[in-house]
Amino acid sequence: MVCSAQGHVYGISDPTEERSVYPVFDVEWYSSDLVDEDSTNAARRIAAVRRLAAGASRFVNACDFDVEGETIGYNLLRYACGGKETDALRARFSTLTQEDLVKAFDELRPQAQQGLARAGRARHAIDFVWGVNLSRALSQSALGSGHRYRTVSVGRVQGPTLGFLVQRELEIREFVPLPYWKVAGIFEKDGRKINAEYSKAKVETRELAEKVREDCVGGGAVAMAVRRSIAQVGPPVPFNIGDLQKEAYRAFGLNPSRTLQIAERLYLGALISYPRTGSQRLPPSINYRAILQGVGKAAEYAPLVAELQKAEPKPVQGPKDDPAHPAIHPTGERPKRPLDSSEAAMLDLVTRRFLAAFGPSARREMVDVALVVGEHEFRLGGGRTVSPGWMKYYGKYAGYRDTELPAISEGDRFRVVDVLVDQKFESRPPRYNQSTLLEKMEKEGIGTKATRADIIGTLAGRGYVTGESMEVTDLGLSVVETMTKYAPSIISTELTRDIEEKLEAVEGGAEGEAELLRETVRSITNQLAELSANEEAVGKEIDSALMATVSKSFVLGRCPICKTGELRVVRSKTTKKRFVGCSNYPTGCRASAPLPQRGTVKATPKPCQHCSWPVVYIIGGGRPWRLCVNPSCPGKKKP
Amino acid sequence: MKCSICGREAGGGLCQYHVASKARVEEAYLLWVKAYGRMEWKEYLDNIKRNVQTGQWAKEIAEFLKGG
Repeated sequence: MVCSAQGHVYGISDPTEERSVYPVFDVEWYSSDLVDEDSTNAARRIAAVRRLAAGASRFVNACDFDVEGETIGYNLLRYACGGKETDALRARFSTLTQEDLVKAFDELRPQAQQGLARAGRARHAIDFVWGVNLSRALSQSALGSGHRYRTVSVGRVQGPTLGFLVQRELEIREFVPLPYWKVAGIFEKDGRKINAEYSKAKVETRELAEKVREDCVGGGAVAMAVRRSIAQVGPPVPFNIGDLQKEAYRAFGLNPSRTLQIAERLYLGALISYPRTGSQRLPPSINYRAILQGVGKAAEYAPLVAELQKAEPKPVQGPKDDPAHPAIHPTGERPKRPLDSSEAAMLDLVTRRFLAAFGPSARREMVDVALVVGEHEFRLGGGRTVSPGWMKYYGKYAGYRDTELPAISEGDRFRVVDVLVDQKFESRPPRYNQSTLLEKMEKEGIGTKATRADIIGTLAGRGYVTGESMEVTDLGLSVVETMTKYAPSIISTELTRDIEEKLEAVEGGAEGEAELLRETVRSITNQLAELSANEEAVGKEIDSALMATVSKSFVLGRCPICKTGELRVVRSKTTKKRFVGCSNYPTGCRASAPLPQRGTVKATPKPCQHCSWPVVYIIGGGRPWRLCVNPSCPGKKKP
Repeated sequence: MKCSICGREAGGGLCQYHVASKARVEEAYLLWVKAYGRMEWKEYLDNIKRNVQTGQWAKEIAEFLKGG
């Protein structure tokens, strides 16, 4: 008899129903519907498992073999099956192909130290205690300042992640660009002209840039140090989930959580292996030949697979390993249903990355030439692929371009036709996007491969960041500022990383989760004492940022009628309906427009190209739709 | 006390963010003078105000200092 768990049906909570009470350290596992109002099916699911468990003589845990899957299985076996969490056997598999599933059930093994489940349960408890206490402390402080209740959350990983964004935001907002000059020379030999960059990419003063021009124009240049080399470029390592998320963002612009969703659908369709893996390694046990054979049945991969099968397949391996699952790879199965375009693209990416791992190194010819004019040096170079190796298998994702190689020999003489001096300014640092933020979290060792994408989504949901470019709001700034002042450990990377490392040790079988929980309680108690002692100041700071953020969310853009006011979402005192009005209404501007009464109104950065009125998205119900708020916009089609 | 530019809480006339931005703007002036040979303070402020790469707070400081 087989019964599905369908995600977490138990969740951590505290026995008090009052949301304002803190500190809360007495936590327990409850049916998820009591903890999370969206988990409406949990109670029915638990009742069904209980019914099926009654009278069962043997239990097999076949949930995903990772921290979350182990936690789900452990809790069901413990609470719904009458304490069978240690007696149950374990089925372990990394793909949902028939062959792997049969093998997993033929080779059932006893639950060992249950490190993954213990670590998972401890992580849930720590994150709950952390989040609930600090969020309640902050929300209550803001409430004490007189405004309506609004949740202001600071999660264990969320705090340091917001800290990274704020640090970058400060650099951007305080940025003053410095001028520099870019110098390039135009050289001529036998009627053929070539361009070369000055050896110093950024010339810091105008005087020096001008001097280079004066010294060189009309003079002669000699080609020195013509270096030709062949570079070996090894194949990219197999995908773990972080790599796949970064590559899918680069190739398709998909955000990390969407990539994970698509990858999970492909896994459930038995098309790829388990995606929530940290491994960059493909062990021989996955049976390279069988997978290649399966992949080769598709016409587009058949010639590539035929080439790879000429020799004994041996993939490149990455440095990261995960004892639970291999790197993400295709299973070689054919889709049993039509795939949508994003699924097909993702499967192609995973398949080609897998094939590329078996390919030989690519060879690129590189040329670097120095053209010397007196004391000045100009450089030009180029590169082209002479042997594509793995790039042939990775196809359009390989990302190497050929540039024309200069046909120059050492000692060739050129006339300096002109020297171009172009003034530039330094660019401000780029904002994080979802992909680069994920990379930063990975590098700093905070969060897990399963949770990072969700944490990034939560930052936007809480109003701490806005837009695709993740611009930090006043509220996000204020939360980090307040924490830095009164409870710096909360946004400290060190504390979060330390907890992650200890949890990883528990995953590996070490004891210590109880002590880790006690440590967390001690740490939070200290932080709460600081926050509580400064409740009034904290409340004032958070509250004014909340007000600023909320008020900004009503601004749609510049008023095209009076040119000085802002068009905002306003609610009529009499009809209670919302509409667009100008902030200069009190001084005479009568610009106004109706708005749909349902859905969230979200401003876009660019005004309408036809009438310069703001363009908004209306979100809610179905697909978000764009709307120029001007009812008389010439761009709107007449019925 | 409120920041003269943004209204945030401030110990003196400016909030901590605008104080830090002011220091940046003043430091960068010396580098601009070195880069161009010479440049008047007001001309510099006009330049960074117009520059698309200048950060929001640095622009606000330039406007503030120009008015002062």
